[in-house]
Amino acid sequence: MTDIQQTVYVVEDDEAVRDSLELLLKSDGKPVKTYENATGFLKDYSEKMAGCIVLDIRMPGMDGMELQKKLNEKHSILPIIFVTGHGDVPMAVDAMKEGAVDFIQKPYREEALLEKIEAALEQDLEQRKTLDEKQEIIRRVKSLTPREHEIMDRMIAGQANKVIAIELEISQRTVEIHRSRVMHKMGTHSLAHLVRMVLSVKDLIDAR
Amino acid sequence: MTEVVSENSEVTVLLVDDNPQNLKVLYETLKDKGYRLLIANEGEKALDLAHRHQPEVILLDIMMPEMDGYEVCERLKADPETADCAVVFLSALDDLQAKVKGFSLGGADYISKPFQSLEVIARVKTHARVIRLERELQARNRELQGDQTRILNSISEGIYGLDENGVIEFANPAAAEIMRCPVEELIGRNFFEAHFATCGECPDKLPVQTTCCQGMAESQRNIRMVRMDGSGFPAEYRSTPKLDNDELHGAVVVFRDITAELENEAALEEARELVQEQRDQLAHASRLTTMGEMAAGFAHEVNQPLTAITNYARVSKRMMSKENPDLGLLGETLDKIEAQSHRASEIIRRIRRFMKKPATGKEVISVPALLEDTRQFAEVDMRNNEGGIELSVPDSLPDVAADPIQVQQVALNLIRNALEATRSADASTPVEVTAELVGSSCVRVRVRDHGIGLPVDAEDKLFLPFYTTKDEGMGIGLATCRSLIQAQGGDIGFERPEDGGACFYFTLPVASADGAPCAPESASNAREA
Repeated sequence: MTDIQQTVYVVEDDEAVRDSLELLLKSDGKPVKTYENATGFLKDYSEKMAGCIVLDIRMPGMDGMELQKKLNEKHSILPIIFVTGHGDVPMAVDAMKEGAVDFIQKPYREEALLEKIEAALEQDLEQRKTLDEKQEIIRRVKSLTPREHEIMDRMIAGQANKVIAIELEISQRTVEIHRSRVMHKMGTHSLAHLVRMVLSVKDLIDAR
Repeated sequence: MTEVVSENSEVTVLLVDDNPQNLKVLYETLKDKGYRLLIANEGEKALDLAHRHQPEVILLDIMMPEMDGYEVCERLKADPETADCAVVFLSALDDLQAKVKGFSLGGADYISKPFQSLEVIARVKTHARVIRLERELQARNRELQGDQTRILNSISEGIYGLDENGVIEFANPAAAEIMRCPVEELIGRNFFEAHFATCGECPDKLPVQTTCCQGMAESQRNIRMVRMDGSGFPAEYRSTPKLDNDELHGAVVVFRDITAELENEAALEEARELVQEQRDQLAHASRLTTMGEMAAGFAHEVNQPLTAITNYARVSKRMMSKENPDLGLLGETLDKIEAQSHRASEIIRRIRRFMKKPATGKEVISVPALLEDTRQFAEVDMRNNEGGIELSVPDSLPDVAADPIQVQQVALNLIRNALEATRSADASTPVEVTAELVGSSCVRVRVRDHGIGLPVDAEDKLFLPFYTTKDEGMGIGLATCRSLIQAQGGDIGFERPEDGGACFYFTLPVASADGAPCAPESASNAREA
């Protein structure tokens, strides 16, 4: 796993706010990329983007909430910090429900914003790490033969070797060999760990 | 013959002679001519009959015992009841002296005896006719005079006839009533002395003086006149010269007490002021409502520069904490802070100006500047709108005279309505705001949208209070707009564009146009254009 370059993406229609935010973040040593509107960002977006989004809610054309929905459709995991000029509780609730990590109201103390950005970047890093781990698990699961996969499912379901052998009409010895191959391929020695790993990617596997 | 009969039927002829033979002949001569004939054989009896019946013609014998014809004639003429009758003397005396005496006593004619029947008939006929016409004329005159008196008596305005020195020659009953003094006591007094307390101070400048002395008509309102008892009252008068063949004979003054009128006017003025005050209050309340609706937009709009300022300030602090700060960059950042703080204060300035109560009185305003300010103001409200506002005003547009806050309120209201209509229709065509000169004294501002338009029946009711086509509207906006614009001397209206949407316009008088109001007719001209 290589170190990824995290960028703060600022989507803000007001030129002064955008410019000042860019200066502030740059002076804090963060790579920044700014967008004047949601459409521009959406055009640029790719899964490889890492970091977080600072997103203004009220914008002409596509507003912040709409952009969030579009990104969710694309399974983006970029954390979003919503910024709004006036406290709009229902809007904030909606945004959080849709998975926004935070919500900040203008005018804000820049420490507060920087803290939130820091936390979002941390979360992004975490998410990416977990995602990488999960993808590794999936890769390993995929390396199993159909028979091995079948045996693994029964192991996870808690079936004893004997039971598996009888149900599959193979010898108990054969079950044992498959079992040790599964454990080896999945890179674990403990059944409990194997169960945890497979369950953690269950949603991803089901989704495919 | 019929005509003669009907003509004669009203005529009474009295025959007076002491000689029965003469009487009989006279009677026979006139009896079938349609006259009512009365007969007397002596003076007393003749006078009695004449007094009771007022005959038109009296054939009177001169030579009679006891009372002769001359005396009868004299007494007839002395009695007003009989003074107008035509006395025709009959006498055998044929000398000139007798005739002259007869005429000098008021006789109308003289017939010598022995008389010719035809002559008597002809003369009686002529005199009867003359007297009848005279009596008709007099009756007519009396009638006319009566009419005149009745008119003068029934006029509620006081009327004085003055001679050239201002002495009252005539006064009608109304004048007496106003002055609380009988007509008889008014007549003969000097108008100026009687009714103007300041008479002694500057006699030349007294009312009616120029009419009396120079023959120039005058009229004045709310001037103080004094009654005989010394009390005064506010009056209005008109005086016209009394001319006779271009010669000045004083003046006729028509005047009235306007105390009640002035009181009514004062009450009306007070009511008008109250209405004005309430309209201003309503306008103010309506502005506050508008501000309330726009508050979220303003909060956002003010927070933008504040956010930028906070960010820039933090950046500046960081720069300063470095060992070798880049002063150039620092200066640039501080400039940006300054610019953003101007932006914030400009928004607040607009809000404050819009909310304040208008100073009564008009100002000379530049329409393009006012509309541009309003546009920026309205855009606060429409950050989520696609379309926006397009403003086009010719450079040559003259300034108008109006209250800038109230005009802005109207413009803002129309623009916000247009934006709302555009939004409701999910359209993205901008709201068009234009201004143009109409005629030479009127500027017309139009606000045109491509929104949902208005219901067919809305047109008549649009500007009525509490009429609204919006679910949450109160129906106060346009009614307030109309009263505000009308108070500026302008007009407000609605046009239905052929290709949909709605178009509202209002007019304002050009500042240099001598206060000529932009009344509805100029608006209807505009509609034709």
